[in-house]
Amino acid sequence: MVKQGVEPDELTRPFWQAANESRLVIQNCNTCDRLQHPPEPICGQCGLRETLEWVQMSGKGKIYNYGVVHDCPVSLLQDEQPFNVAVIMLDEDPGIQMYSHLPGVAVDEVPVGGNVEIVFEVSANGQKIPEWKVVE
Amino acid sequence: MTAENAPQAMYRTKEGLGVWEHRGKVAAVGVGHSPTARRWDERPETSVGAWSILALRRAIEDAGVSPDQVDGLVIVPVTTTGAFWPDDKPLPIEAINAFNQTSDPLDGIAKLSDEWLLKNMPELTNIKYSAYGPVCMSNALNVASQAVGDGLTHTCLVLKAWHNLEGRYYQGGKNAANSTDGTSAIKNIWGAPASYGTALQFAEYCRKYGKTHDMMAPFMSNSRRNGLMFPEGYWAQHRPEELTSEDYQLARWIAKPANLFDNDIPITVAAAYLFTTAERAKDMKQKPVYIMNHASSETKPRSMTPTLDEVEADTARTGRMIYEGAGITADDLSFENMYDGFTLFHQFHLEGLGYRGIKFGEALDFYQGDITIEGPNPVSPSGGNIGSGRSRFWMHTDCIQQLQGRAGPRQVTGVKPEIAVSGGPMPLGGNYTVWSATPD
Amino acid sequence: MDMVRTVRKKGFLTGSCSDRPMSTQRAIWNQHGIEFDFVCYKHMLPELKKNFDADIYCHVGDRDDLDRKYALRAGFEFLWPDEAVENDWFSSAL
Repeated sequence: MVKQGVEPDELTRPFWQAANESRLVIQNCNTCDRLQHPPEPICGQCGLRETLEWVQMSGKGKIYNYGVVHDCPVSLLQDEQPFNVAVIMLDEDPGIQMYSHLPGVAVDEVPVGGNVEIVFEVSANGQKIPEWKVVE
Repeated sequence: MTAENAPQAMYRTKEGLGVWEHRGKVAAVGVGHSPTARRWDERPETSVGAWSILALRRAIEDAGVSPDQVDGLVIVPVTTTGAFWPDDKPLPIEAINAFNQTSDPLDGIAKLSDEWLLKNMPELTNIKYSAYGPVCMSNALNVASQAVGDGLTHTCLVLKAWHNLEGRYYQGGKNAANSTDGTSAIKNIWGAPASYGTALQFAEYCRKYGKTHDMMAPFMSNSRRNGLMFPEGYWAQHRPEELTSEDYQLARWIAKPANLFDNDIPITVAAAYLFTTAERAKDMKQKPVYIMNHASSETKPRSMTPTLDEVEADTARTGRMIYEGAGITADDLSFENMYDGFTLFHQFHLEGLGYRGIKFGEALDFYQGDITIEGPNPVSPSGGNIGSGRSRFWMHTDCIQQLQGRAGPRQVTGVKPEIAVSGGPMPLGGNYTVWSATPD
Repeated sequence: MDMVRTVRKKGFLTGSCSDRPMSTQRAIWNQHGIEFDFVCYKHMLPELKKNFDADIYCHVGDRDDLDRKYALRAGFEFLWPDEAVENDWFSSAL
């Protein structure tokens, strides 16, 4: 399943650059010691901009929840329907979520609560995208 | 005059504020609706601007005031969430030129400014207050309520309009491209449709409380039944079709566990209300419906999508704010008209309100009982978006009409219509209004 | 509707496949006085195919992203309305 390509912008460039290096980084406010994702221009708690930094994650998480997409608005994915879209919680902070197609998992057979590890897939314009694979 | 978004200070977003200082002093009197259509046919007279003017004029007439008595205007400037004029499509020049224009050619076509309205409604000669309540009618109602209460305007029109264009909603634009910008990509490249977030919450809810999607069927049938008694609505006007349990339960998935009918149908429509002071309302044509409180939630999810825990916490908090500001409890509600654009979250609103004593995890069981307008526990007597199409305002119109005794065949008969609440959209965030047939 | 009446006279099995509620689909056929062998939703075509033993399975529709996609995925042939009109099946000549 090839996802849309990504044109990194100023806010998210560090995230996508790290992905190209097969690394997962998440925004962190070093005053609040609080991760946040999706990236924002300011800390969602203290409102400061200059305290934000990018911190590398272990790439380990758990499956929190999932849905099965049968009618997708993104043209590039419509021939792949139906497909899983799962929500992954990072081990470092279960409040931080990422989406995943869970490559290798059959449609609607998602092991909620299962462990996952990060992998990186190439998108339509060569940008690498974080994805997640179930591990035992 | 160019409006701006109403300042944050106008919204009541915290617990502990006590009873709203203008409780019972602001009233809704007039209601005006445009016709509905599935999509715009590109005729000038059916444009979102034209239908907005129609709705506003009908609200003025319904209230029995003259246009020059109106001194305030609160509108929602955005008229869609998913239907945008394609960059490569020629502008609808005939429709644009049929009206006095602003500098934006799509004003009155795929968006709406107060400037466009005032250029095309010369009868509104006395507007002194104009503000935007962004996103939807629920927001605009809060702004208008506070503005009238604060004395910024004494006779205020409130408007929300929607346009819909050819093509499927949310398709096109960034979603049709082979690549997208970095910020959008964080969420969108996984292809989850709009109902995905709600579907996730519902899935977690079913796992946690041992419920099933099929248990939604009575709510769906009830909402469509009520909507078919809403002559201003899309289904009543164009496709008067009931929705049986079989119809609902066998429908195709969009984002399982949200199926086709769990998603509202986008339409073109406009509605307007006339708000005024309780004092002035006494001399107007319709029975006043008093605003007892307005409340807003600004809660955002911690991360990509709200969890069930976040939803339950915020709907409960919203419920407490609603009751605190109105000086009432859940027992005082005659009925509720909370939002249902994705059907699967209506129950979260009900549980947050503690409607009829429902606790978390009990709403789907509640749906299996009598939730009709004839019974003691009416649920969504407006029929909501499911009953009448995507507008996010049927719930408000219904509250006003029920409390005025003008809901026609939809009039609740199992309860005496005295106090009601309406609002949304999402369980996290949103704007809410408490309505009353009496000022105290 | 006349096209449907024509093919029914020739012994075709006919029905509807739509996003319209199934109860509505039945009501529409009844309103036009046309008997139908099935009504279903778009995603039900594979099941429909199993339920009827026929030489040809064909869906006439006007949406590429929905009608045509679901039809081809289920192993149905697909005709656009203007193609259907030209097809001999729908010719009133017996």
